[in-house]
Amino acid sequence: MSRRSRSNAGTTYVNNVRGPTSALTSFLNERGIRRANPAPAPAPVTTPPEEDIELEEDASNSQEEAASSSSSTPAPATSLSRPTRTARLTRGRTLPTPSASTSRSNDGDGVDDGSDSDDDSDDDSDSDNKNLIPIVVSASTARAARATRSRASAAASSSSSNTVASSSIASSSTAKAKAKAAAASKKRPRKKDASDDSNDEDFHDITGHISRSSFSHKGRLPQGSNKIVFCSRCRARFTLKAGTTPAVDEDDGGLLCPTCAGTGSPGPTKGTLPKAKPVKRARRKAQKAEIECQIPSLQDLCIQKIANSIEDVEAFGDISAVSLDKICKIICRNRSLNADTLQLFLDSRHSELIIYDCTDITAVGLQNIAQFCPNLRSLKLKLCGRITNEVMDYYIEHLTKLTSLTLYGPILIIEPTYIKLFETIGERFEKFELKGSSRFSLKATKTLCDNCPNITHLRLADCNLMDDEWLEPIAGLTKLKSLRIRNPEPDKLTTSAVVKLIQAVGSGLEELELKGCDGLTDEVLVNAIRPSCVRVERLNLSGCEELTTEGVETLFKDWTVNPGLTYLNLENCVMLKDEALIAATEHSGATLEDLNMSGMDEITKDALQTLTRCVNLVDLNVSWCRAVDDDIMEQLVEAAPRLAKVTVWGDHRLTECCTSRIGLKIIGREGDYVDLRFI
Amino acid sequence: MSSLTPAESEYVTLESSDGFQFVIHREVAMLSGTVKNMLSSPGHFTESTEGVIQFRDIKAIILEKVCKYWYYKARHLNSVTEIPHFEIEPEYALETLMAADFLDT
Repeated sequence: MSRRSRSNAGTTYVNNVRGPTSALTSFLNERGIRRANPAPAPAPVTTPPEEDIELEEDASNSQEEAASSSSSTPAPATSLSRPTRTARLTRGRTLPTPSASTSRSNDGDGVDDGSDSDDDSDDDSDSDNKNLIPIVVSASTARAARATRSRASAAASSSSSNTVASSSIASSSTAKAKAKAAAASKKRPRKKDASDDSNDEDFHDITGHISRSSFSHKGRLPQGSNKIVFCSRCRARFTLKAGTTPAVDEDDGGLLCPTCAGTGSPGPTKGTLPKAKPVKRARRKAQKAEIECQIPSLQDLCIQKIANSIEDVEAFGDISAVSLDKICKIICRNRSLNADTLQLFLDSRHSELIIYDCTDITAVGLQNIAQFCPNLRSLKLKLCGRITNEVMDYYIEHLTKLTSLTLYGPILIIEPTYIKLFETIGERFEKFELKGSSRFSLKATKTLCDNCPNITHLRLADCNLMDDEWLEPIAGLTKLKSLRIRNPEPDKLTTSAVVKLIQAVGSGLEELELKGCDGLTDEVLVNAIRPSCVRVERLNLSGCEELTTEGVETLFKDWTVNPGLTYLNLENCVMLKDEALIAATEHSGATLEDLNMSGMDEITKDALQTLTRCVNLVDLNVSWCRAVDDDIMEQLVEAAPRLAKVTVWGDHRLTECCTSRIGLKIIGREGDYVDLRFI
Repeated sequence: MSSLTPAESEYVTLESSDGFQFVIHREVAMLSGTVKNMLSSPGHFTESTEGVIQFRDIKAIILEKVCKYWYYKARHLNSVTEIPHFEIEPEYALETLMAADFLDT
C-alpha cells in the first residue's frame, strides 16, 4: 500500500509541481531520495539478446555480491535487516521465473534498456498522470540511510513484501530462493495478461503498475539508447553504449569502465571487493583533481595568502586593480572587511570601487569612501544596509564625478534622498542599479527619468513598490542599453505594460532581463521582444513560468532582424519543450556563449542534441534536464571547443566516466557527491 | 654547447634588482606572458639576442619564488594526480603578487 501511495506522490510531482524547487522535491532531495531512472518493464515479448543478458549479469554480479552474501539467510530476515539495499537491488535486479533458469535483469541503474515495452510508448502520448516514478535511495549519509531505511521497510511490509524479500534472494540464484520467488508470484494477484513474462510481473508489482505509467523518460531518449552499468573494479558508474562491447575484467569477468580498461593493469585498484573502500577514495580524489585541474596562477595564490592575513597588511602598494578587486572579493567573503581594512582599498587615484559586503562598515567608514576617493566615477556598494541618508548626502556633495552607482539593500535611504541624488547628478548619470529597496518609489523613478536622460543601464531588482506605473517614465529613457527588471512583487507588473515599455525602448537594448516576472505571457515575446529588440544580445527570461513553447518558438523562428544572442537564460521556464530549445539553437546557435536551461525538465535528448550547433558555448547550465547523459556530453565537448563550465545538477544519467577534458569544469555531477557505497 | 647563440640556447638568464642571476629553462620562463613577449618579440632587443633579462623591480628572493612557481607549474601542468600546494610565505605575498602582476604569471 505504501508503495502505491508513494508512486502517487511521484505522479503529483510530475504533473502539478512546476520546477525543481518544489517543496516535495526539496524534501525528497533532503532525504536523499531521488527519482529513479525510469526503468520501464522490459517488453513482454522481446527477449534481449543472449549476449546482453550476460553483460547485465556481469554488471550486477559485483553489485550483488555484497548484498547476496548477506542475503543467504532466509528471506524475511534479509529484507528487514537491510531493507534499503534490498529494495534498491530488487528494482534493478532480475527476478527469476519458475520456468526460466536464466535470470534477466534490467541494468543496474535502471536506465531504459532497448526493449521498452510497447504499451508504454502508447501511453506516452495521451497522459502524464499515470506514470510511475520509482524511488531510489541514494543516501550519502548514515542519517539519510536510516531515514530511508524505515521507509523502505514500510514498503517491504506492504503487500509486496514477500516479493521484495524473495526476489532479493533470488539474485543469489539459489534454488531455494527460486522456489520462494515462484511461491510469491503465485500468491500475488495477477494484474496483467497471463501471457506476460512473470519477470515483468514481479517487477510491476514491486514498483507498482509500471505498465500504466505513461510519464516515461523513455520519451526523452531514443530507442535502444545507452545504459548505465557499474565498473567491476572501481565501482564507478559508466555508460554502456548501445552496440558496443565494453572491456571485461580478466579476473572476475565483470565490466570495466573506460578508465580502468585504459589502464590495463589493475593499477591502484589491485584487489577485490573487500578492498573497494580505499579504491573508491583514490578515485574520488582523482575526480576532484580533474575538476580543479587548472593550476592556480601565482597571482591568485598570493591573493589568497594576502587575504588570509589581511589584518597584517599595512598598505597594498602598487598592485593592479584586478588583484585589488580580487582581494576585496575574498575578504568580503571572509567577512573580514571592516572600517580598518576598508582603508586599504581607498586611494584618491581610484576611479572605480566595488565593495562586496558593507555589513561591517559603519556609516563613518562609508563616508570615508567619498573622503579618500573623491575621483570615483563608479561606486558599487553591496549589502549596504548601514548606509544612512547623511552618508548619501555626503556622497552627493563630494563625489562630483560619479556616473555610476550601485546599491544593494540600502534599506535606510528614503525617497527625498534619492530625489536629491538624481537632481544633483543629473545628466552625468549613466548607470543606476538598485536592489532590495522598499522605499524607492514612483516619485523617485519619475525624478530619475526626468533628470537623468543619459541613463544607459537601469537595473531595478526586488523593489517592492514597483508596479505598472513605474514603467511609463522608464519608457522615456531612450538611451537605455541595458534594462533589468528583476523579481517584482507578484502580479504588480502586467504583460501589457511590459509590452509597451519594451516597444518604446527595445530598439536600443543590448541586454534585457525580466527575471522572475512570473506573470508575463507569450505576448511579451511575440509582440514586444521579437519586433523591437533587434540588437539584444543578452536575454534573461528566467522564472517567467507562463511562457510557452509556442511563444519561444515564434520568437526565435526566422528572427532575422536579430543577429543572434550571446547569452540566453531560460532557467525555470518549466513549460518549455523541445521545440523551444530547437528554435533557440537554430537562431542563436553560432553566437551563444552562455546558455542556462536549468529546470527545463521536459527537454528530450533530441533537442539536447541541437546544442551541438552552439559551437562557441563557454558556459552551459543543463541542471535538471534529466535527459542529459554521457552521450550528449561527449557530443558537446566535441562540438564546443571553448566550453569551460557545464553545470549538471540533477542529471542522474551522467556518470563519473563522462567525457571531459582539461580546462572543462563539470559541476554537480552526481557521482562526485554521492557515496557510491549506498547506490 | 658554446656553439649555440644565446637566442637558441635552451636556457635564459634572469637577473634580479640586487644582482642575482637565475639560469632557467627557456620554455619554463615562457610560462610568463611578459617574459614570453620579451624573448619572442620581433626586432633585436637585448633580451631576445642575449638571452638575459633584467628585472629592476624584483628582488632576488621574490624572483626565486617566481622561478620556483614556474617549475612547479611546468611540472604539474598536465598532471592528473593531485597537485601539491605551492607554499608562499605571507611576508612575501604582497611583493610576489606585484611581481606576478608584472610578469603575468
